[in-house]
Amino acid sequence: MGKILMKGNEAIGEAAIRAGCLNYFAYPITPQSEVAEYLSRRMPEVGGVFLQGESEVAVGYMLFGAAGSGERAFTTSSSPGVSLMSEAISYISSAELPVVFVNIVRGGPGLGGILPSQADYFQATKGGGHGDYRLLVMAPASVQEAVDMVMMAFSLAEKYRNPVMILGDGLIGQMMEPVEFSDHLKSEPSNKDAWATNGMDTRKSKERNLVKSLFLDAQLLEEHNLALKAKYDRMKQEEVRYEPYNIDSDYRALIVSYGTMSRVCKTAIDNMKTEGIEVAMIRPQTLFPFPINPIRKAASKKGCVAVISFELSMGQMVEDVERSVQGKCPVYWHGKAGGEIPTPEEVIDKVRSFT
Amino acid sequence: MSAIGIAGVKQIKGIVIIVGNYGSGKTEVSINLAVNQKRAGVDVKIADLDLVNPYFRTREARKPLLKLGIEVVVPEEKYLQADLPILSPVVAGLIRQPSDLTLIDAGGNDVGATVLAALADSFRNKRVHMLQVVNPFRPFTDTIESCLKMRGEIERASKMTINGIIGNANLIDETSVDDIYNGYDFVKALSGESRLPLEFITASVELLPEIDMGRFSCPVIPIERQLVPPWKRAVELKK
Repeated sequence: MGKILMKGNEAIGEAAIRAGCLNYFAYPITPQSEVAEYLSRRMPEVGGVFLQGESEVAVGYMLFGAAGSGERAFTTSSSPGVSLMSEAISYISSAELPVVFVNIVRGGPGLGGILPSQADYFQATKGGGHGDYRLLVMAPASVQEAVDMVMMAFSLAEKYRNPVMILGDGLIGQMMEPVEFSDHLKSEPSNKDAWATNGMDTRKSKERNLVKSLFLDAQLLEEHNLALKAKYDRMKQEEVRYEPYNIDSDYRALIVSYGTMSRVCKTAIDNMKTEGIEVAMIRPQTLFPFPINPIRKAASKKGCVAVISFELSMGQMVEDVERSVQGKCPVYWHGKAGGEIPTPEEVIDKVRSFT
Repeated sequence: MSAIGIAGVKQIKGIVIIVGNYGSGKTEVSINLAVNQKRAGVDVKIADLDLVNPYFRTREARKPLLKLGIEVVVPEEKYLQADLPILSPVVAGLIRQPSDLTLIDAGGNDVGATVLAALADSFRNKRVHMLQVVNPFRPFTDTIESCLKMRGEIERASKMTINGIIGNANLIDETSVDDIYNGYDFVKALSGESRLPLEFITASVELLPEIDMGRFSCPVIPIERQLVPPWKRAVELKK
């Protein structure tokens, strides 16, 4: 099949279908409503279900129920909607169920605005809901990467029995780019026997599965949390993904940037190169686990005098960048949070001022 | 006549409404048609009636259009970034006292075309031309049948009739000359099936030099891309 032209939101919906997910629960909110629009047409064509919940709170528990019964399920929302789902995300994490969440981030806090933002970085990577849980968080920078990540997300969610979140800023959902759907990303059917509460008839084991998040016994809760932690540590070992850019040059500065902001930075880096100024970039593709070691190594390179975190927020990822660099190089931040995206010229000015 | 005129589009006049499915390229086509006609000496006004799309709307190109002397009717400045269904009263006025060419850029699908029905009173006794933009590289308009279905949905929602087709085959930056040829063959077949005239097709200015114009029986409007993401530059519109 050749390439087709798709809006990010449509492509995300199609990718979920191609990954074998036939359960989509959602509540409309700009700038992600086109996913629902698209899947309201497509799901009936493939024998799947699109159910609009009465709110995002309901959607969160529809996902909990579907995943608990062994079904592949996913939702898409935008910032305030994800806040409403946060309780369910915590429960689903504790119950160790695979669910894919897509957050097409808009400006905040509160109702904020409808323009692109990355201000849900903390919410996605540090919690949002309560308790010691982690989401595996992936951040696409193009429509094609959104497709690939959504397809990968279902496999990863099942591999770790953990929710996976795709964090895309509003532009990822709204812009149009050519995409193709490759079969090699099609995820294998999972071993849902380990968790699905779908009756004893077809089970190999005689032991029944139980979906729960309540552990009143102190020792059992401690053990549960230790097991979760071991899982998150394994993600840190095995799932770090990032893209280096111009990293083999003799760069004076290292940019850390993700999502569509990183594409502005790439243009800026290319423009600076024509003027003889070398700047490198590390683009985290996973925000949790964060590419700590690659950033530390890149920041330690001789001649690098500044590490700059460019984000569509008031400085969230920069805290992880500082944690990675560990004082080996000065760390700076530049960002916007109103919905405007810094221009390549603005990025160049900032790089100049910090070096 | 400017260099762009080589593509052979004659003067288009009257009220022209641009409809089509989501992401078919209505706005980019409207902007470039407006520019093309202005350069051909036609007085042009353009109205952004997209009430369903939150980003990438005509209103984002209003400054370069104004520079060329093309009036752009958009919601009030303070509502420009809102996703509210605001229909500026100026639009009705614009239809009552049209320019040589009055372009109306409607929103996507039947949902986006619904607003046209609300303007029925203003359209009464006016000669209105409604054109359907088709990009066969988009989902839901990749077959003749689905394009005809879209046509029916838009006509029902707008309570108006589509009078012609615009071929806008593209994969943005990845469009090849063959894509343009295949896209032309597709809309030509659609034109035959629907008995609607093929008004024109489009091709990006970057591709134009490689294209064999003799292959087409309709005009070609060059696209100087205006709706670009922030890491790309829009083509500078010259007079």
